[in-house]
Amino acid sequence: MATKVVDLRSDTVTKPSEAMRAAMAAADVEDDILGSDPTARRFEAEMARIMGKEAALFVPSGTMANLISVLVHCDTRGSEAILGDNSHIHVYEHGGISTLGGVHPRIVANNPDGTMDIDKIVAAIRSRDGSLYYPTTRLICLENTQGNCGGKCLSVEYTDKVGEVAKTHGLKLHIDGARIFNASAALGVPVDRLVRAADSVSVGLAKGIGAPIGSVIVGSKAFIHKATILRKTLGGGIRQVGILCAAAEVAVRDTVGKLADDHRKAKVLADGLKKIEQFTVDLASVETNLVFFDMADARISPAKLCQVLEQRNVLATPIGSKSVRLAVHYQISDGDVQYTLKCIEEAVEEIITGDAKLEHLTNGATTNS
Amino acid sequence: MVTKVVDLRSDTVTKPSEAMRAAMAAAEVDDDVLGADPTAQRFEAEMARIMGKEAALFVPSGTMGNLVSVLAHCDTRGSEVILGDNSHIHIYENGGIATLGGVHPRTVPNNPDGTMDVDKIVAAIRHRDGAMYYPTTRLICLENTHGNTGGKCLSVEYTDKVGEVAQSHGLKLHIDGARIFNASVALGVPVHRLVRAADSVSVCLSKGLGAPVGSVIVGSKDFIYKAKILRKTLGGGMRQVGILCAAAYVAVRDTVGKLADDHTKAKVLADGLKKIKQFTVDLTSVETNMVFFDIADPHITPDKLCQVLEQRNVLAMPASSKSVRLVTHYQISDSDVQYTLTCIEKAVEEILSGNAKFERLTNGTTTNSYGH
Repeated sequence: MATKVVDLRSDTVTKPSEAMRAAMAAADVEDDILGSDPTARRFEAEMARIMGKEAALFVPSGTMANLISVLVHCDTRGSEAILGDNSHIHVYEHGGISTLGGVHPRIVANNPDGTMDIDKIVAAIRSRDGSLYYPTTRLICLENTQGNCGGKCLSVEYTDKVGEVAKTHGLKLHIDGARIFNASAALGVPVDRLVRAADSVSVGLAKGIGAPIGSVIVGSKAFIHKATILRKTLGGGIRQVGILCAAAEVAVRDTVGKLADDHRKAKVLADGLKKIEQFTVDLASVETNLVFFDMADARISPAKLCQVLEQRNVLATPIGSKSVRLAVHYQISDGDVQYTLKCIEEAVEEIITGDAKLEHLTNGATTNS
Repeated sequence: MVTKVVDLRSDTVTKPSEAMRAAMAAAEVDDDVLGADPTAQRFEAEMARIMGKEAALFVPSGTMGNLVSVLAHCDTRGSEVILGDNSHIHIYENGGIATLGGVHPRTVPNNPDGTMDVDKIVAAIRHRDGAMYYPTTRLICLENTHGNTGGKCLSVEYTDKVGEVAQSHGLKLHIDGARIFNASVALGVPVHRLVRAADSVSVCLSKGLGAPVGSVIVGSKDFIYKAKILRKTLGGGMRQVGILCAAAYVAVRDTVGKLADDHTKAKVLADGLKKIKQFTVDLTSVETNMVFFDIADPHITPDKLCQVLEQRNVLAMPASSKSVRLVTHYQISDSDVQYTLTCIEKAVEEILSGNAKFERLTNGTTTNSYGH
């Protein structure tokens, strides 16, 4: 008998809803390379409108969205981009901006709140006087919400300030907005206002918004025109792409309004975890749908905990040698949250009393952090 | 009232069938990046089996299929790849292997039959003694069917011969098999035999096979492992990708058997075009689902002809300043073929008699003659 699996590894695990499946099956499509897929056009126009930018482009992944954005802003050889040392682009995208795009990264430390100090950003901008030695800084990248720092929101004031820095120095500003809607919901700031200072934004559709595939890049018409060509060069030129856009359209319509609930459930999880003395949790740190907690007891490791949880059909992500991450999404119910807390309590007990069986199930979840 | 458009611009225009749509809606999916999407796994295993290779990988486009393959074979900086001067990779893929992958191309002329002379391929292989000046040749690429030369089939004997050259020089062989099933059907050679000499093949699903999206790369387990990482780096790591694989699965099951019909229709078109004296057509040149014809009359240009045809809801592709290309696929019926010939005859008459109106319709088809 198949028991439900409570999958808290990431908000990317969301499966397409009935409404999305129906929309995909019924989508009005055309060859989007030779001509123009009507469903894609409609969806891209809507996303541009929602994000307050001139144009939008659907791409198969967040990685491609960021890669295209950086490469378009930095299309001249010898470019440098400033970004957080703990940013997704820098840590989890295979260094593609460099290995494929020839763009040099200049990192600035991410603070626990997801920001980078403004003065450190300014200090990282290369002086034109050094152009015999220095690459040319062309771009600053922010990430909102900041994933590795715990799903932290960058405020509209901070974003605007970085935007001013960019403008003063003749740079572009790109926001990795994989979870920008989470930020908007948590801050109570309309998403178009939140990203107004940005020249481009990559918006995740396959995470908490729940679409099966894809992201959208938004920006000026000129930027999106270049982005469209680069998308094809990378191999992201998809023919009857309206199928995927149809699902994404439903996702944006149906799920953005549910994100606040994900944040509430994350806080319930965090509260429950705080009561477990073997863990340390910073409650103030839980701003959106991600919960990180540290192991305070040497007998419990993140890998062990996740293995034992897997046996109870609860999936979580070990982070390094000391922490575990839980990601809430709309396919996690309140009942699932309570079940998770119960399982974690039981798992802790099992491990401490030495009763835990530490078999790897075939899912391999615990190896894929 | 919406009239049917007879779209002969490319076999990429095929729309998903009811069976594909139903399969997509019902697909069993999972996060293919964090774990493994079951529908994708099943489809990839099936494609590997069909193509006679160890493993397979679904990618969103043929361009990515080729880019990943070239970059995976040429992962050391300073690599060079031998390919046809009229190949899709060299002409229509934005030079990505170089601009993104840092791989240097060495072209060899494509003959009208789609091949490159084997002695010219050998001559293009860089000598190790010149390593102080030369990049290192690591890969040979073939294209079967070869698009720009007219949808030409490379025989299994030729492919095996190039494979031997590759092997004796320590090189890999990649086949751009966007239309490999067309080649297999036209030659009467099972597809796995046709590509046996290749280390990797990129196989299109969204062309004549009719899937809405994607291609598949096939090769050894090691190669596919590297390819998977590259795919993610390029941004092709899709989450619940089983949706697309479900449609592709149906496409392979339902449409491979219809390709021979596309070839028949192409020949019917070519026969009809030959009767029009303003055109020259080489009938022996029509091997699969593509028909190229030259315009012999200076009053008629490819652009003009395609514009006038558009007004009659027939879409074709200007292929050069002198030629037009038509591509058949399973969503073109026999009567569509007859209708097309009638329209072409009328269009020629209109243009010659000076009665043609050259308005561009909003479709913009006639401006897009690249990359098919």
